[in-house]
Amino acid sequence: MKSIILIIISATLVLAACQDSRKLTPAPETIFDDQGLHVITSFHNARTHTISVLYGNDDALAHAREERAAHTSGEATPGEATPGVVFKLVTWDLKQNPLWFGSNINGGLRSVETVTVSTGGSGPAIDYAIRHSRQKRDENAATSKAERISFIFAQQASVFP
Amino acid sequence: MSSSARIQFPTTAPNPTFEKKQTAMKTLKHHTFRNIAAVLAGIFFTSFVVLQVNSPEIENPPVTSEFHGPEEVTRILKRSCYDCHSNETNLRWYDKVAPFSYKVAADVEEARKRFNFSEWDSIPKGEQEGKLWYIVNMIEAGRMPLPEYTATHPSAKVTPAELTVLKNYVTSISQKHYATGDTAKIVDKPKVANVPTSVIGIRYFDDYKNWKVISTTGRPDNGTSRIIYGNDIAVKALEENDILPWPDGAVIVKVVWNSQAPDADGNVKPGNFNNVQMMVRDAKKFAGTEGWGFARFGGLDLKPYGKTTAFATSCINCHQLAKGTGFVFDIPTKPAQR
Repeated sequence: MKSIILIIISATLVLAACQDSRKLTPAPETIFDDQGLHVITSFHNARTHTISVLYGNDDALAHAREERAAHTSGEATPGEATPGVVFKLVTWDLKQNPLWFGSNINGGLRSVETVTVSTGGSGPAIDYAIRHSRQKRDENAATSKAERISFIFAQQASVFP
Repeated sequence: MSSSARIQFPTTAPNPTFEKKQTAMKTLKHHTFRNIAAVLAGIFFTSFVVLQVNSPEIENPPVTSEFHGPEEVTRILKRSCYDCHSNETNLRWYDKVAPFSYKVAADVEEARKRFNFSEWDSIPKGEQEGKLWYIVNMIEAGRMPLPEYTATHPSAKVTPAELTVLKNYVTSISQKHYATGDTAKIVDKPKVANVPTSVIGIRYFDDYKNWKVISTTGRPDNGTSRIIYGNDIAVKALEENDILPWPDGAVIVKVVWNSQAPDADGNVKPGNFNNVQMMVRDAKKFAGTEGWGFARFGGLDLKPYGKTTAFATSCINCHQLAKGTGFVFDIPTKPAQR
């Protein structure tokens, strides 16, 4: 009798657990406030378990479009960064969509990287800043600022209809 | 003695005539009940016989284009799905007994309409893979095989190990998207001159580009990358957890690109533009599809998807899996607080 009760209890728990995994509430805190910047492109990475959207102002979008055009035509990459460009690279954790096996969706916000180009004394000055949303060890500590800047500048604008 | 005392102790004054009458009444009542029971049994029996005689027959039409997959996969599908989703329906004796036979016949008919493993090529080639992912997700969600079916056919249940086999299979067939997904030369055509309108009257618009991104997804299942936008009403509904149901006027737009092969660091970037999809909330206008109007515009010429309004039914059939989030798959979520 005891074992039957145990089986019933565990079966109920298992069923409850199954149902709970699909019981969800919105997580609006993960929505990024773009403050009028354009979406430039997006990418995800199964190795780092991250998914990112690159935002930017008009100048940044123009630059990313030139990157794409240069890539498509096979010609040399476009010129240097011009003052006024603002990029923001927003990165979230990548998780499996609990509603669809086969889809990976953004989870919690991980970091926001900002690159701004201003007029310096001897040509454009590029500033880089990263803001982590959580207290944790910087996994990209080995990656230098310069690498991140060139990575962001190398992104090509996605084609929109 | 007061009258109240007599009422309190009625058994102290037995009444033989009254008792006789009561017995007679009881016998009469008993007979009446027996008669009613007999009549009812007669009605039930006759109905039962009539139901048996008229019980629907399930035909097994010829197998024209069978689904082919690895043996371990087809074995699971045959055992768990084929009774309804194929022309090789194998009914047990109790499936043929009315009134159950009516339900069984209706289920088989509906199941074959949804998809049929014996007529697999009736599904357009480009949609067969998506259908397999859909099947796997329906099983994972516990919606398939139908719980009422597995209750009487326990052997049809898909075990967690078997679900893993199916998941590995669909994942493996979709790997090829990355192999062929090299879109080094990204096509950027000029904008379309005429703004297309979908068959259910949703017109393409550009304004979503100014909306907030509510989520972004990478889809190993079909090799695409997506950005999902929400209008102000949709974002507010998310902020206020007011999505069951979503308020009228909420619009969600999803832009889909073919994913490129991962770069040296594992980054999967969008390649060519694939399509844009819209979900427009109007509980009254789209009452037949849970209050959501669906539209999809494919390619840079934004060709509207679906020739008849019936296409929206296939949209909502799949979106039923996201019932818990108001039929929207791609919103940011966290587990519900107990």
